[in-house]
Amino acid sequence: MFLFSFKKFFALSTGFALAFGGLASSVSAAPKPKNITVGYLNLVNAQLVTKNLGLIQKYMPGVKIKYIKVGGGGDMLRAIAAKQVDFGGLGNPPTAIGVTKGLPIQGTMVLNMLGAVEAMVVRKSANIKTWNDLKGKTIAAPFGSTTHYLLLKALSDAGIKPSSMKILDLRPADIAAAWARGDIDAAWYWEPNLDKAVKDGGEIFITSGDMEKKGYPTWDVGVVMNSFAKKYPDYVVRFVKAECEGIDYWINNPIKTAKIIAKELSLSLPDATRMMKGTEMVPCKTQLTSRYIGKSGRIGGFADTLVETSKFLVSQKRLPKQLTRKNYEAFINPVWLEKAVK
Amino acid sequence: MLSDLKISHSFRLFRKPLRLFRTFSFDRYFYASISTVLVLFLLWIFLTSTGIADELFLPGPVKVWESFLSVLTEGYQGSTLVVHVYTSLLRILISFMLACIVGIPLGILMGASKFARALLNPLIEFYRPLPPLGLYTLLVMWLGIGEESKLSLLFLAGLPGVIIATIQAVQDIDESYLRVARGLGASKRTILLNVYLPAAGPTILAGMRISLGFVYTVLVAAEIVAATAGIGWMIWDASKFLLSDVVIMGLIVLGLTGIALDLFMRMLGKLLMPWTRKSRFGTS
Repeated sequence: MFLFSFKKFFALSTGFALAFGGLASSVSAAPKPKNITVGYLNLVNAQLVTKNLGLIQKYMPGVKIKYIKVGGGGDMLRAIAAKQVDFGGLGNPPTAIGVTKGLPIQGTMVLNMLGAVEAMVVRKSANIKTWNDLKGKTIAAPFGSTTHYLLLKALSDAGIKPSSMKILDLRPADIAAAWARGDIDAAWYWEPNLDKAVKDGGEIFITSGDMEKKGYPTWDVGVVMNSFAKKYPDYVVRFVKAECEGIDYWINNPIKTAKIIAKELSLSLPDATRMMKGTEMVPCKTQLTSRYIGKSGRIGGFADTLVETSKFLVSQKRLPKQLTRKNYEAFINPVWLEKAVK
Repeated sequence: MLSDLKISHSFRLFRKPLRLFRTFSFDRYFYASISTVLVLFLLWIFLTSTGIADELFLPGPVKVWESFLSVLTEGYQGSTLVVHVYTSLLRILISFMLACIVGIPLGILMGASKFARALLNPLIEFYRPLPPLGLYTLLVMWLGIGEESKLSLLFLAGLPGVIIATIQAVQDIDESYLRVARGLGASKRTILLNVYLPAAGPTILAGMRISLGFVYTVLVAAEIVAATAGIGWMIWDASKFLLSDVVIMGLIVLGLTGIALDLFMRMLGKLLMPWTRKSRFGTS
């Protein structure tokens, strides 16, 4: 009886496996996708412009575009791992994690360079003037994000042990709440929530832009799922074109852009204008230079940042192994940009 | 007569501790359970060794075992596995005990008095179906990011199960028991301790076991915000870095502690309420 039921169980489970496998492989290789899902990070960059102006739709008539707002890099990684998005955006630490873990993604373009849009805010009353003053204080940052990376980098550069203070893992919205209650003395995170802390008795201690000048650039890179790129290469180019147009719009129409940002994030116009100044948008032609993505066969500085970032994450035991520059070069694929700016 | 009953209870309590281990007896049901575990384990080995499952999502047993050893000895982000488990269990047990201390008396009160039930039911029925994360946002705003909000969330998750089971248990008590006790001149206190509690005990215990399960389900949610240790936090943090071996290891450890706690409660139930089987199956 027992054996019999096991047989049945196995028959069932193999049946299921076959059925699912069959489903996955039987999807026909149509040249045009029915719909695409764009995961975008909840921050201030030109993706909001592209979204608001419906530029992707313009380049992809007849395709249903679905936008998903994602809170931070950690959530985006999970969404990518679960194949819930076709296009996504990642900061350099999550990118290093994703590439090391072999996620089936490739980098397409620079979404934004992170300047003052990410910053460490300190409570005025906590009297923090130097890095040393942080000892014994409570500091929040979303773990695994660009700002967590910069915080630990800055601390090690200043020769201060992270264990001499309390570093908490909080998501941006939770940081805002914890700040309002007075639970934390400092936090390194990003707009639009950063603004709430600054207005509520905070002052900027250091920005991510300052760290870029010290040689630690942070950025967000656009990624596409490999399977999507293989099936619909033409549509990856269209996507990049749309985002490039959004970036150009941002650069050429700052006032109109501020209105869009204000609307998309429910901010006041002055706030949106100020936050925009903290994000550096790179025109797509410039992205092909050695400082950013680079060209096919000669990948630019983004690969170096990824090597640096992963070195750091390995030392933090957040990554199991160190990849080489070659591995990261393989992740960055300038072909889409090259075709898009032609 | 009532005092006779009491003596016989405590008598049984000392005479029959060996029977407790019936839970572990090696009968065919035991083997059935073992074979389920074995089949799942073999399936795991099969899926991972043949490469059907992507290692990113389902690392093999060896990988998970290695991460178990490494977290046990070297720790994960500053705390060893023992500290993570201890931190979480402490949170679970404190809030679960609070839920029982508050929930059982409330349940008895609500079961015995229609008025109390009418008074308190809206509150419990309202918050019970709320998603814990939604509730948690509010708790963090009210109570901050420290232990208070975490414990409150776990407490609130465990409370309704205890209360509802207790109400049910009290309402199910055979009226004749109460009438007899009253007829024999038992005081309210005696009725509570010697009729309500013994008769309602088994159902309350069942409710407690389900409640403990609910407390477990919100553990990860409770440790997402500003925790630096705890098995739920470890799982959450590892998932951000796609360390699926740590995630799976954490889930297994969490599950095992849950089973251990449940076994403990069942044993406690047999120890304190040896009449359960009899009354259930009506053999006496």
